Amino acid sequence: MSFQKRLISGEFVVLAEMNTPKGVDISELVTNARRIKGRVDAVIVPDMDNGIMRMSALAGGVLMQQQGVEAIIHVYCRDRNRMALQGDILAAHVLGIQNLVVVHSEEMAKGDHQDSKPVNDLDEVELLGAIQSLQEGKDMAGFDLTGKPAFTVGCTIAPSGDDAALEKELSLARKKIEAGAQFVITPPVFDLDHFSSNMNSFKELGVPILSTVFLIKSVGIARYLANYEPGAHISDDLIKRIRKASDTEMECLRIAGETVAGLRNIVQGVHIITLGWEYRLPEILDYAGM
Amino acid sequence: MITAERKPMEELIECLRPYHRILLVGCNECVTVCSAGGRKEVGILSSALQMAFMKEGKTLDVKEITLERQCDPEYVEELVTHIDQAEAVMSMACGCGVQEIAGRFKSKPVFPALNTTFMGASERQGVWVERCQGCGECVLALTGGICPIARCAKQLLNGPCGGSTNGKCEVDPDIDCAWQLIWDRLKALGLEDRYEDNIAAKDWRTGRGGGPRKIIREDLVK
Repeated sequence: MSFQKRLISGEFVVLAEMNTPKGVDISELVTNARRIKGRVDAVIVPDMDNGIMRMSALAGGVLMQQQGVEAIIHVYCRDRNRMALQGDILAAHVLGIQNLVVVHSEEMAKGDHQDSKPVNDLDEVELLGAIQSLQEGKDMAGFDLTGKPAFTVGCTIAPSGDDAALEKELSLARKKIEAGAQFVITPPVFDLDHFSSNMNSFKELGVPILSTVFLIKSVGIARYLANYEPGAHISDDLIKRIRKASDTEMECLRIAGETVAGLRNIVQGVHIITLGWEYRLPEILDYAGM
Repeated sequence: MITAERKPMEELIECLRPYHRILLVGCNECVTVCSAGGRKEVGILSSALQMAFMKEGKTLDVKEITLERQCDPEYVEELVTHIDQAEAVMSMACGCGVQEIAGRFKSKPVFPALNTTFMGASERQGVWVERCQGCGECVLALTGGICPIARCAKQLLNGPCGGSTNGKCEVDPDIDCAWQLIWDRLKALGLEDRYEDNIAAKDWRTGRGGGPRKIIREDLVK
């Protein structure tokens, strides 16, 4: 069953994130995709995530499709103007990509091409509107298209440190949904109880909610997130659990798997981020019982 | 100077429709030089607004003030004695001045009367042209004193594009091709060899690429 059909029918969806290579050697990406084929519903391919220049998400998405793995690609506004965005979105449809996620793009200052000029011709809400318009057969200038693309389109919510920030993010999410987003991906969840306490607010958005599960790979990362990521809610107990584990890596995979399993009863899906440990996705899925 | 043009009257009237008493604030600097927001323009706009309101059977009380510089807190402070009598402020300065007033008087609605346009120079009486984009890393020493960032439609740093025809830009035949001007100037200076030099891809961090900018002069900071 396709990602779209599972989403519509209320089935739980499992998405895994896989970055494209910085170069043209696609062997690792392809091997990792084959490892999880049939175990996830789709692979999310970011586009130059964190401002790191890589092979485009469009190419990565097509590679996934070629492996028989459904792809969801990121689209964002930092590197392309409205012409390039629309052109690539049409190309994505023609090349078999059926799903897009409109995401926030990291500032150039935090990437690896800091001297580059950002574009930001559109913002996320405007881009969602443009995708909607393309699906209705018109480009942003109002000209008719020859053949309409069709996509399942999602958006993301940024992390929030307190209730006021969360309300601001939810308000923005409502705008994104009004502009065409059909599902929402939340920031990483580390504390299921805390996340559940906000679930009513998310549910009010009226679209499927997918939660990000971010693989913590070490005590250092856990401490960093606890200190610097607003609203991460990483408890001392969690840090202690990783620190005391006889096999830290295994414990981290187990924690991610348990989070996936725990979210099954709370949201409609998960988006697993492993940042370089994509080859260990099968183990996370094992721990999640999937 | 920073150049600007007055917004259409309909837009200004729409902003002020809910109010009866406003402060109309001009600026004695750049916008006076480009005849957009100085004392004279404040007087003209004030009359035009009052007439427009009268035509609608309403009144608009306009207090006219022109500050020495609206982008300087020291001068903006002069509005303190007038601000309470006004329900709203309309600024005839560039965007810097509008924001300075809005930042100082947080509870007062502040509207721009002008569209701030570019950093430029007077070409002749009544004509202003763009000359600088404030990119933060001036290349004029390399390009014969003519800026390809501000004056080339594509901001090319290594010669003209294929659209340059008879020394004119493909965007508009009234626009000189910046690279034709650079070539002519280098030739006049006997520096044609410079044209062959490759200018490296620009570091846009010093421009808007790095987000809003700030200058801190430690020797002047108190």
